[in-house]
Amino acid sequence: MAGNALLECVGLVRRFGERAAVSDVSFSIAPGEVYGLLGPNGAGKTTTIKMVCGLIDADGGEVRVDGRAVGSDLAVKELIGYVPQDIALYPDLTAEENLRFIGRLYRLSGAELSARVAEVLAVCDLVERARDRVDSFSGGMKRRLNIGAGLLHHPRLLVLDEPTVGVDPQSRHAILEHVAAMGETGMAVLYTTHYMDEAERVCDRVGIIDHGRLIAEGSRRELVERLGERDRIDISATGDLVGFAARCRALPGVDSVATTKESLQIIAGAGREMLPRLLEAGAGVDVSINAIDVTEPDLEAVFLHLTGTALRD
Amino acid sequence: MRVLAITRASLTRVARDRTSLFFLLVLPVVVIVIIGATVRGFSTFTVGVESTGTDAAGRALVSALERSPGLKVVPFATTPALTTALARGEVAAGVVVPAHLAAAERSGRPVVVTVYAERVNSVQQAAATAVASVIVGRGALVQAARFASDHSPAGYDAALATARGLDAVLPRVAVRTVRADTVSSTLPEGFSYSAPTELVLFVFLSALAGGATIVETRRLGLYERMLAGPVRARHVVLGEGLTYLVIALVQSVLIVTIGSVAFGVSWGDPLAAGALVVVWSLVGVGAGLLAGTVFRTPEQATSIGPTVGIAFAMLGGCMWPLSIVSTAMRDVGHVTPHAWAVDAWTILLSRHGTIASIAGQLGVLLAFAAALLALSTWRLARRLH
Repeated sequence: MAGNALLECVGLVRRFGERAAVSDVSFSIAPGEVYGLLGPNGAGKTTTIKMVCGLIDADGGEVRVDGRAVGSDLAVKELIGYVPQDIALYPDLTAEENLRFIGRLYRLSGAELSARVAEVLAVCDLVERARDRVDSFSGGMKRRLNIGAGLLHHPRLLVLDEPTVGVDPQSRHAILEHVAAMGETGMAVLYTTHYMDEAERVCDRVGIIDHGRLIAEGSRRELVERLGERDRIDISATGDLVGFAARCRALPGVDSVATTKESLQIIAGAGREMLPRLLEAGAGVDVSINAIDVTEPDLEAVFLHLTGTALRD
Repeated sequence: MRVLAITRASLTRVARDRTSLFFLLVLPVVVIVIIGATVRGFSTFTVGVESTGTDAAGRALVSALERSPGLKVVPFATTPALTTALARGEVAAGVVVPAHLAAAERSGRPVVVTVYAERVNSVQQAAATAVASVIVGRGALVQAARFASDHSPAGYDAALATARGLDAVLPRVAVRTVRADTVSSTLPEGFSYSAPTELVLFVFLSALAGGATIVETRRLGLYERMLAGPVRARHVVLGEGLTYLVIALVQSVLIVTIGSVAFGVSWGDPLAAGALVVVWSLVGVGAGLLAGTVFRTPEQATSIGPTVGIAFAMLGGCMWPLSIVSTAMRDVGHVTPHAWAVDAWTILLSRHGTIASIAGQLGVLLAFAAALLALSTWRLARRLH
């Protein structure tokens, strides 16, 4: 991958005081590839992409875009389009004014700037609202414009930091469609999310990050294959879930158990054959089982298997 | 181009915000008018006159009082009404004209024209002096007429008429008040006081309150977005600084223009005044940028900023002249840049100073500006990373 990679992160380290937010993170993204950085909140995703965009310095390691180190070289930064997690737009300027402003920062002007602004407004489906102030937009419209602003200068690497947070399902669907389409245009995309389904849907490869470390990387298939012949068992229950989880962990064949507020997530071999023993374990504690679901492993199961905790925790 | 793009976006936002425009452009003018009207000097004294039942000589005296350029005469029917008005401050002095003035003058008896004024009130004493000068003038005519009638066959009335006629045509000893090139330690009164001090106050105040824009832009994540692109922290500092400079200069030019055109304020040597406006604007830029890095929320900037600005203005002599406060408070006031700016305006407006005369004040203000700009640039650059 490193041979034709557009983005290369090698051994990235970032500390905040004594705490290591990112430890020895390495990955690369090829042109046309959508790479998902998947992990729970606080895992180190945002810190990693801030180092990729040159917003914070790495305490160790290196970020290279198109073979050049990201740092004080502004020409390298022009290759990157950054879409922050929050809506980074002037609320009291219109959509068009915001795009023009950002375009000027990238030294676009005249007819070229006008053409790019029109193009992005069309991509964001905001042509009709081009001259409306951003603070009059819905959340989804703001999100689309926020992404559009990152595309204005035709970057070769697009970095999106959890672009669907707080977005309604319809807008979320549209955003994911756009992200998938960007990869098809040859743009390298770094996409961070803590939504497993998004990573599965749009990413060619996924890096799973937890506690600042990249603990696994590969395509969805490659990651799931790591689990071997294992199933994911979701048990919806109420009562003493902690005691129930402890009894489940003690069962042979159970790899990992994670608890959420009203459920257990279990990774185990031969899930269906395991069910009677799980029910028996539940009978020994004060717990009421409402539903049991056995499914094929997915990225969330991979995460659970690797970390022992559910992605939502 | 990147710097100008940032400035352009920020100025567009300011121009679109009606509240900002009111505070930047309308409020300073309103305050200048109010304070200018409040602290304006006494060019005319209102004098109450009770002349009920007086004769022709009494009416002539009242007429002389009315013609006096420094007096405005208000008639009263009774002496108690006149003294009550004086006690209430409705008039600066009271004059009671005797009923039979002409007869007394003709007979050569002493004549008493009563003038009411408070001895310890400097304004009332000044009004009484102005009234006395008119009465003395009338007395001189009467004395001349008496002298002529005593030493010629002409009667008193004819002599008085002759004296009056001569008074009108003969050259007289005139008193010409020439504006002395004094070393006054205060600004002139009226709008010449309020306009420059309000310029000092509002440019600084607006800059501090404007720090809210930087705080908001920071919180919106726009600076982060800019710096992820081909933009350095210094571009952001320059772009925002240029925004403040443009706003401060527009505000200053507005106050200077309205002060000159509408209120007749003379701003002194144009080169020196221009230099002072630019340097003071730079102080405002530094203060505004610093406010943008110190405050955590826009609300803090818009509430604490003006409070600090007004406190500095009070200490620095924008609300009242520092010449009326103690030496210790004057020294404390000069910890603020405001006092140095007001000192410079005082030299320009009250002492006809030039740019050389205010070089010291300009130097101190430039030092303030440099310190504020350096500190705010360092803090903003640190905040951005």
